[in-house]
Amino acid sequence: MIHILKREFTDSIKSIRAILIILFITFVSYKSALFLKENPFLISELGKEGIKAGDVYSAGLSLIVFIFGFLFVFAISHDIVNSETEMKTMRLLVTKTSRPQVMFGKLLGATLFWVVTISVSYAIISLISQVWNGEEYLRTLIFLFYIICLAVFISTIVPKTKLTMFLGILLGIALPILGSVSMIIDKWYLVPFKYILPFYYLDQSFGYVLIPLAIGIIFFLMSVLIMERRDL
Amino acid sequence: MKAIEVENLIKRYGSANVLNGINLTVEKGEVFGFVGHNGAGKSTFIHTLTGITRKSSGSFSILGTPGGELDRVKKKIGVMPDIANLYQHMRGIDFLRYMGNLAGDMRTKRSYEELLEEVGLKGAGGKKIKSYSFGMKKKISIAQALLGDPELIILDEPTSGLDPESAIVVRKMVTRLQEEGKTIFLTSHNLDEIEKVSDRVGILTDGVIKKLGTPRELKAQAEGGVQLAVRTKPVLTAEVVNELKEKSGLNLAFVETKREFTLLQLPSDDELPRLTRALLDGGVDLYEVKVEERSLEDVFMNA
Repeated sequence: MIHILKREFTDSIKSIRAILIILFITFVSYKSALFLKENPFLISELGKEGIKAGDVYSAGLSLIVFIFGFLFVFAISHDIVNSETEMKTMRLLVTKTSRPQVMFGKLLGATLFWVVTISVSYAIISLISQVWNGEEYLRTLIFLFYIICLAVFISTIVPKTKLTMFLGILLGIALPILGSVSMIIDKWYLVPFKYILPFYYLDQSFGYVLIPLAIGIIFFLMSVLIMERRDL
Repeated sequence: MKAIEVENLIKRYGSANVLNGINLTVEKGEVFGFVGHNGAGKSTFIHTLTGITRKSSGSFSILGTPGGELDRVKKKIGVMPDIANLYQHMRGIDFLRYMGNLAGDMRTKRSYEELLEEVGLKGAGGKKIKSYSFGMKKKISIAQALLGDPELIILDEPTSGLDPESAIVVRKMVTRLQEEGKTIFLTSHNLDEIEKVSDRVGILTDGVIKKLGTPRELKAQAEGGVQLAVRTKPVLTAEVVNELKEKSGLNLAFVETKREFTLLQLPSDDELPRLTRALLDGGVDLYEVKVEERSLEDVFMNA
């Protein structure tokens, strides 16, 4: 599993798309933190509203992740499973190790990529602000973990990489909109999006992040079950 | 403990049975050759045994471990499924290292280079696999199957598409691996090759093993008895052979005339002295008799 994790991580980090995304996230984190440092009155004003200084500094990064997270994760990991089944390299992997190990390795490799990316951004923010907002950091990582699990699930049930690329773009745009709208508008057809997508839970107290974490794990376990039964 | 034990294995795709109740035992240390027409089910059989596809029904065990617990013995099995399964963007050496790590084979870089050299890919480790020729891809695919010092090595058409020299290298490797105590299960379209390296051969037709045995046993089972090439004066014609048959009571059949030789068929080589006498009694001078051995090809064509 560890070798698949390493391969997944290095393949992710070496891709042009990933490099662009890392640069974008890091740049936004740096610039937004620098802007706030140069405008301390903004922090004191927001402080009067009850918002902590750490939250203000990481707000830029959180906003980017919550808006573009689906798009970014799908851009890198939409073919995390089906590229191997399409190219038949999965056959080679399953002759050497178990299918759940392959799936765990891939999930953890993709997760590690995002942990590193977000940690670098948080490190930059903390260098400027001297604050590491641990709660927001975990919230962001759980949000991304949920999306990675969804990407793994979609990549497992959809065999064609071209189709998952298309779906990734579509869902990457649609899901944040649906998730946000479902929190504001109380319509029956938006209820599933409210409770299945992570946005609603992230707006609640910290304990609620366990729910998207659990939903993500369910997506992943379903992917493992499907993969276990499949002819490769 | 057997290397492979298969009982009534069925693999169904939709309503079609690709494997239609296979029963087979492969002993440890044996080289087992599996032959069959295209689409007979050879690759499906390998895929089912190695966990690439799931069986529909029946049972099998590998190195004494039931098919359902195959993950426990995967490190003891080396599989060469198909060259289409390679990571094209990787360098040869990186590919082998990745596969080696998965197989629990923590050898040195030098050792990977030696393995490449062993399969005839000396100096190719630094090149990307997508730049490899068909034969080179085949060789690296064989190399990855040898990683982790497996007890059982399953090779799906290891020599198809290889030049004769490379095919000989692979054949010698199979022999060497057997000498080291490995069990080899291989498929091939090259019946001559299967005959040369295999202790036993199974002929698969329409998802069922139609013939099973040592090459010698299979050839002995071949229909049509013994074929003889006789050089006589005068050269035998169909009419003369029919006359001899009537006079001697031999179950003799004329096949064809090839220059000064006449091909005849007898139920067995036990009848050879009677044929010799009949020829001499019939005023035919006999100069040469060659017993044409049945090939595995004849067995295969009759399966």
